[in-house]
Amino acid sequence: MRIELAGVVVAACASAPTSAFAVDYLSAEQAARLMFPEADRFESREVLLDAAQMQALSAHGINARSARWPVTIARRGAAALGYVVTDAVVGKFELIGYAVGIALDGAVTQVEILSYRESHGGEIRLPAWRRQFAGKTAESPLRVGEDIANISGATLSCTHVTDGVRRIVAVVQAAAKSGSLV
Amino acid sequence: MAAGLALASAPAIAQSSDAQVALAARLDQLAAELAAVKAELARLQQQQAAGVAKAPAEPPVAPVVVPATVLTSYGELNYNRPTRDSKNAVADMRRFVLGFQHRFDEKTKVVAELEVEHAVSSSSDRGEVAVEQAYIERQLTSNVAARAGLFLMPFGLLNENHEPTAFYGVERNFVETAIIPSTWREGGLQFVVGFDNGLSAQAGVTTGFDLGKWDATSIEGAASPLGSVHQELALAKARDLSVFGALNWRGVPGLLVGGSLFAGGATHGHTAASSRVTLWDLHARYAPGRWDFSSVYSRGTISNTAALNTPLVGSRTLIPKSFDGWYGQAAYHLWSSGDYALSPFARWEQFNTARSFADLGAGLTPPAARTERVITVGANFNIGSSVVLKADYQRFRENRDNDRFDLGLGWSF
Repeated sequence: MRIELAGVVVAACASAPTSAFAVDYLSAEQAARLMFPEADRFESREVLLDAAQMQALSAHGINARSARWPVTIARRGAAALGYVVTDAVVGKFELIGYAVGIALDGAVTQVEILSYRESHGGEIRLPAWRRQFAGKTAESPLRVGEDIANISGATLSCTHVTDGVRRIVAVVQAAAKSGSLV
Repeated sequence: MAAGLALASAPAIAQSSDAQVALAARLDQLAAELAAVKAELARLQQQQAAGVAKAPAEPPVAPVVVPATVLTSYGELNYNRPTRDSKNAVADMRRFVLGFQHRFDEKTKVVAELEVEHAVSSSSDRGEVAVEQAYIERQLTSNVAARAGLFLMPFGLLNENHEPTAFYGVERNFVETAIIPSTWREGGLQFVVGFDNGLSAQAGVTTGFDLGKWDATSIEGAASPLGSVHQELALAKARDLSVFGALNWRGVPGLLVGGSLFAGGATHGHTAASSRVTLWDLHARYAPGRWDFSSVYSRGTISNTAALNTPLVGSRTLIPKSFDGWYGQAAYHLWSSGDYALSPFARWEQFNTARSFADLGAGLTPPAARTERVITVGANFNIGSSVVLKADYQRFRENRDNDRFDLGLGWSF
């Protein structure tokens, strides 16, 4: 059994970078196994969005941020079970690492927080908050203050993770439609 | 490259057949080298493919680059226009704050903010420059952190989240300025613990208030009893230290329920009578869907005020024995388009900065202040999550002269 997951390099306006998160809760591999425990292998793909796809996402208010998205396909035998995408977004001051599990029908199955080190708002790790994403699709609002409840004192963390999940769901849907994830 | 070489060598070819032979040999050599490079490339590609196939169970995730130093800022520009007294309309650069967070290592960082109030600070201006926060935070375990330095006190809903984008209305609410003095910070040490059930706890030892700063000739103490005697770690009297604790529970999405308690000596051995300040609050916020409800109740007491007030009898403002207030607020995310969002809100407040005075005897004990009741209605118009335009109207039940219309511009990043 093999797992290949790639993170996303997020370069913010930095002076000297540090090498790792202070508080890493899960590795990308652990998150993938947690999301698809029945999978016997994980296959990495790099989705490359073309200009038309990027424009289509933009028309729906989605900033794809990058044309290249590493997507992991969870498989059991030859059958695909779903997809896992890992990403990082800035919370208030710090980066939040997270992973999104998506079923073949494009619905979110699970969101896991991989790393968090803001002074406030660690409650986004709580299962009750993350469960709000289950079943959401590219057609869902996926917005704090609409279908995702905020965490008082962690508004930016909640908003940015929610925005990130909305982006990932849309990217995976676009990639699946184009046949990139077969 | 070979073609280039050939073109460059053309004159030599014309001059000598030897040169032609040499050139041909050179071309052959280049062709051989190219073939070798291709072979090496193919070998490397094969190695890479084999390497991937044998990748460890957990290949390293591509490094996430984290900035070690982050510049932060927030600012508020406010316009207040009393509806019954428009000559006192004021436009003010209320706060301009620059800050930074610098991470020394994976577990240790410094957080600092420098604030300028009212735009200009000089001997002839009312503005002031203040260090609002300056603390070191060390992550001790995945759930426990320690902070030391000058930090914001975890009281109410506003004090630790006081950026203009974080609250409704142009001005901060009265309960969290008159009763809980915002922006309230103390110097000391605190521990922050997060539990897996959504409960977080903060507790620490800090500096406290200085009742020696009470100015009985001023109305400042009537506006905010603790705001007039806070020390802000500016040569703070520190014989008497204070303790505080705060519990907050966020176990249900959108819900926050919490409370805080602070207690500490406030005379520091400078008066015969020793006096203690105690302040506590209960707060809740619930944001289901587009709604956002919040409420805070806070009450403060000062002990031994009879002894402190006796020499002040006849002065304008004596030290109250107790003061309290509460508010309830409802906001609704009415409209959004792109990164624009409009949220109207309404807030009802009741507060009394001198709920009671200690008994000084008949004719000497001041009467309790009247409870002010304020209704605020308005809207926040957000541009993204970092910029907000605000407008509201505030109506005061006791002092109608304070009724006003407010406009505000704020940012935070």
